Amino acid sequence: MASQTHTIYIRLRHKISGTVGQAINVKELAQVIAPSEMKERIETTCVHRIKPEDNTFVVIDAMDLIREINQLYPTSDIQTIGPSQTIIVVTMKKQKFKRVLFLLVWILLFIGSGLTIMNFHEDVAMPEVHRKIYTMVTGKVNDKPLILQIPYSIGIGIGMILFFNHIFKKRFNEEPSPLEVEMFNYEQDLDRYILFHEKQKSESKEHGNE
Amino acid sequence: MVMSNILLIIIGLSGGLSVGCGFVAFLSVLGIIPRLSQLTKTHQFIREYEWSVVFSVVFGTWVGLRNIHFDLSHFLLIPIGVGAGLFVGLLAAALTEVLNVLPILAKRIGIHEQILLLLMAIVLGKVFGSLFHWSLFIDN
Repeated sequence: MASQTHTIYIRLRHKISGTVGQAINVKELAQVIAPSEMKERIETTCVHRIKPEDNTFVVIDAMDLIREINQLYPTSDIQTIGPSQTIIVVTMKKQKFKRVLFLLVWILLFIGSGLTIMNFHEDVAMPEVHRKIYTMVTGKVNDKPLILQIPYSIGIGIGMILFFNHIFKKRFNEEPSPLEVEMFNYEQDLDRYILFHEKQKSESKEHGNE
Repeated sequence: MVMSNILLIIIGLSGGLSVGCGFVAFLSVLGIIPRLSQLTKTHQFIREYEWSVVFSVVFGTWVGLRNIHFDLSHFLLIPIGVGAGLFVGLLAAALTEVLNVLPILAKRIGIHEQILLLLMAIVLGKVFGSLFHWSLFIDN
């Protein structure tokens, strides 16, 4: 009876977060399908305890998990599904919002984007075009056609908000905005980088200890 | 005489051809028309949108080059101005997005929820920069 093989399915999560000193159990790392008496035992097994020297990221490989489970149930057949590594993001005691830095960036973006739009207008000779449009429509000459230019300026703001699909947190529809998609892609790239480099680092460290 | 006229026609046609191609290529890269049709859920009219751009470019080119003018009310300039601004705003937003500025910035200074505020900085910067340009800067 005891030697009967059971199949254990594990599916690692992509990314979890933890704090220093926390013990990471299998339950937090992965979804497990196994016979119920084995499942509980597996899920409460500690795989890694986060140390202060782990810095911000720890990568747990599916192999680490299999090694642990194998010690518990040597005869079991372990199947892994999904991602083969999990990133643990170590969070320090609540990262506080950097108000001054944020304000500086805000001002930088405000001035910078104002400057770029002015440069753009000069570059494409827009003042001349506006005067021409004024003459085209009314037949009169006006060196400062503000009646065209003030609506134009407001239109720029509306156009940008439309593109990013935000009107101060309100949305037109459920689709993600291009910016949100871009953020997602960027994070995925970062994760791939972490998976590759953190694992290499910890492996070389282990070899150094041996 | 005939020969030089034919030559001019060829030069004009080929110049226009390449500028037209470039214009369309630029619009396609930035993806403004797909974005607008996505927002308004009118994907089926994408052909009509293409024609709108083509007609407008031809009309604008002709009227602009020939100095044609109409004697209409100057209040008509308000919708024209809003439309022009909207289009430039979409262009500017699309360029910012292509350049990937905001995701990197937000990650670097560790703010995620406040990315909307950063976006508003750019939007307001554009609006006030533009207003400043037209009302004060040009005066000399």
